[in-house]
Amino acid sequence: MSNDINKPMGLYVHIPFCSKKCDYCDFVSYSMDCKAQQLYLDALFTEIDSLKTKFYDRVFDSIFIGGGTPSIVYEGFIACLSRKIFSSFHFLDKTEFTIEVNPSSFTKEKFFEYVQAGVNRISVGVQCLDEKLLREHGRIQTMDNINETFKLLKNSEFPNVNSDVMIGLPGQSKKSIIKTINYLIKQNVKHISTYTLQIEKHTLLYSKLKKGKIKPVSDETMVDIYNKINKVLKKAGYFRYEISNYAKPGFECKHNLKYWDDDTSYLGLGVAAHSYIDGYRYYNTKRLDTYIDAMKEGKTAVYSKEYVSDAEHRTERIMLSLRTTKGLDLDKFKKDFNEDLLRTKSESIKKMLDMNMIEIENNFLRIKDDYFAVSNSIIVELI
Amino acid sequence: MNRQDKIRNFCIVAHIDHGKSTLADRLMEFTNTVAKRDMSEQMLDSMDIERERGITIKLTPACMKYKLDGEEYTLNLIDTPGHVDFSYEVSRSLAACEGAILVVDASQGVQAQTLANVYLALDANLEIIPVINKIDLPSADVLGTKKEIEDLIGIPCDDACEISAKTGLNIESVLKAVVKKVPAPKGNENTPLKALIFDSYYDSYKGAVSLVRIFDGKVKAGDEILFMQTNKTFIVTEVGIFTPQPNSVNELSAGDVGYIAASIKNVSDTKVGDTITLKNNPINKPLDGYKEATSVVFCGIFPLDGDKYQELNDALEKLKLNDASLHFTKETSLALGHGFRCGFLGLLHMEIITERLEREFNLDIITTAPSVEYKVYDNKGKVYDVTNPSEMPPMATITKMEEPIVKMEIITPKDYLGGIMDLCSDRRGVYHDMQYIDSNRTKLIYTMPLNEIVYDFFDKIKSISKGYASMDYELAGYQDSELVKLDILLNGEICDALSIIVHKDKAYQRGRTLCERLKTVIPRHLFEIPIQAVIGGKVIARETISAMRKDVLAKCYGGDVTRKRKLLEKQKEGKKRMRRLGSVELPSEAFVSILKLDD
Repeated sequence: MSNDINKPMGLYVHIPFCSKKCDYCDFVSYSMDCKAQQLYLDALFTEIDSLKTKFYDRVFDSIFIGGGTPSIVYEGFIACLSRKIFSSFHFLDKTEFTIEVNPSSFTKEKFFEYVQAGVNRISVGVQCLDEKLLREHGRIQTMDNINETFKLLKNSEFPNVNSDVMIGLPGQSKKSIIKTINYLIKQNVKHISTYTLQIEKHTLLYSKLKKGKIKPVSDETMVDIYNKINKVLKKAGYFRYEISNYAKPGFECKHNLKYWDDDTSYLGLGVAAHSYIDGYRYYNTKRLDTYIDAMKEGKTAVYSKEYVSDAEHRTERIMLSLRTTKGLDLDKFKKDFNEDLLRTKSESIKKMLDMNMIEIENNFLRIKDDYFAVSNSIIVELI
Repeated sequence: MNRQDKIRNFCIVAHIDHGKSTLADRLMEFTNTVAKRDMSEQMLDSMDIERERGITIKLTPACMKYKLDGEEYTLNLIDTPGHVDFSYEVSRSLAACEGAILVVDASQGVQAQTLANVYLALDANLEIIPVINKIDLPSADVLGTKKEIEDLIGIPCDDACEISAKTGLNIESVLKAVVKKVPAPKGNENTPLKALIFDSYYDSYKGAVSLVRIFDGKVKAGDEILFMQTNKTFIVTEVGIFTPQPNSVNELSAGDVGYIAASIKNVSDTKVGDTITLKNNPINKPLDGYKEATSVVFCGIFPLDGDKYQELNDALEKLKLNDASLHFTKETSLALGHGFRCGFLGLLHMEIITERLEREFNLDIITTAPSVEYKVYDNKGKVYDVTNPSEMPPMATITKMEEPIVKMEIITPKDYLGGIMDLCSDRRGVYHDMQYIDSNRTKLIYTMPLNEIVYDFFDKIKSISKGYASMDYELAGYQDSELVKLDILLNGEICDALSIIVHKDKAYQRGRTLCERLKTVIPRHLFEIPIQAVIGGKVIARETISAMRKDVLAKCYGGDVTRKRKLLEKQKEGKKRMRRLGSVELPSEAFVSILKLDD
């Protein structure tokens, strides 16, 4: 099975620079250095040039510049990159163009540069409003930075803002998270991503945990907070459309939705970017120098590539679509995989229906609100 | 000199680790039976497990040639298993010999098992040759060890061999002693065949091969032989000796040790202790001392993956080919599905079999709690032999129960006496006697229920005494006992594979520990799971596994998809290996937890 080539693709560009790595971060990032940024931009151009002919007949309708910290790169970088992107691939009129910014490096000048470049969605990495906690976990932004960022966006009536909120930072209270959520509601952000902290290996936080310097937040507390957020946001007019994403109607992130639709292709550019194109997943090298050298030498940036077999595709379909509140389209599943899940997994489905964990409506199977937190267990029953 | 005057049949008696196998290696090396370059450590221990643990289970005889004073002697060494589980086999091996080398570690002195086996050898009227080993160790106390042997066993030690099997020091003195002291066989070659089977093994070409000592008469290929206990007849295809590899010879005669192959399909037809004679010219009466191998310890063995039932069946069949003392019958458990109820000679035997299933046959298995054979009397006057808790009649109908007891001997340095006595009384042991072996060591004698030692008694003794104490036991009949069947309910359903039979005074404690243990090994489910320990409908302990609240809330972007998918696939694989009991999924550790019941 292959992807639907008629569906518009998404484009992701990774900006692997940060002024400082946060303690919990396992994303690929390097510290800031103008020369490195210049070399990186050159390399991105080369990668785009090497790929554009391959996608001459495909259309895109989303761009996502993520990182790292895209707002940290020098002025003009994003403008330059956007021009290159728009001149190399075909975009639909209603293309969603997101950039991630950190309040500590987001300036008025950069904001205007982004808007000029076509950015129509800004994702502010707020995480949490507790300055002490932010500092403890190595985030550099201050409350002043955050206030200024939102003032700027509000004053210019920028229409589409997302904010990331992190749940489960050791030391964080339920009260402080709800305070953060209420602040964002007040700022009229259209989209909120709440995700729980996963303590990944190879992070500073992990080693702190191993040394017993911090205590992880219990599952019970996390779920409590998570359910509370759900209530608060619902009341404020946001709806959950995916496990960790809320939006005002019409403001779902087009780009992210592609990640949860196993039929849609997306192209990733830059260090550590990943692509999913016509049934193959590609992973670019994670090393900045390797990436830059490869581009200079006319080699590929792809470090590994894997074909998603039918069986794997089936698993991914179940896994990804059950993350969304829309759920799993059973008719389409039957058509695509020649399997009637209601029959092949009848026992598990019946059990879960009885326990009120899932529901089936118009032949869409979805996880009930209260059970999103245990969706892994539910998915495992079905794969 | 007559032919038999130049034959010596002997064995080695020693405690584990005292150097029996190493000494056997050195003897073969010295007599050029095995070239040094072909020696792997401990030649006679042919199974991996034996070699790894340094204990000998399976006997392999060796025929050595040794020249003394111009005469060439044939020395047949019959190795013996050094563990209590195999004392019947030991007794048959001893019956095949005229002499025994008693090896004692000069740094450790006489141990409980040594004593047990020496007594067996003395009972068999063997000439005992004391050998003090490991005299090269700095901690060796040669004089003290000799005195111990004299005091404890009553064997004079003036001219005991003092050796180091490891370095090869004084090895020849042992060979000389064997020739000089062990009596030559005194059989009659001209009377009808009388041969003792002291072991057998399965060979895929020759079939079941009997290891024999010929007492009288002769046997050769083509003879029609009769196994007197099984009353079966076979035509001999080959006879031979062990050098130590099997080597065929024309004929075995009185005094010889060797093997007889007769295209026998089943190793259970070649029973240890049976007497072989000629069908057309038989002896009147078989040799004394024959016993059926009886199972003492029982447990259920189930494949971890239910689909591997047939493979487990085949593996047990294969093991049985070589081990007539292994018994198994089909068993079906609600929780574990299809498997086998297996009977063993003892704990070590059980451990060996389960380990071989895992190692040699690559099977992942679940074993249930070891059980012994209880006698249960019901109100209709019926008696049941219960080896499996699930076969226990309803409590209300039971009028009397009996459990097997053992006579236990423990030798320990006095520092650990208190700890060991505490353990014994905790295990319902009844104190009988205490004897001082020397200024430091003491021998304790207890009778105790077998079911108190089948779990981890040996490990406990070892850990209390830092490895210095040794133990030995023999079955000593049955005694009345107030036993109860303790069941475990998971989410309201009985998990049959977790049921145990236990003394009523211990039921509460066991039930509680078991519930606590299970709580830690059973993963959280999407619903709450009560764990209850129940005796005859009455709940005596309870724990609850609370429902899982969260297993994911993290983000999932493009780059995470493969990783997440693999994670879920792995979880699914893990689930497949779980056992289902109603809606509860049990990991195999749940069944192991019942084996380790001590806090």
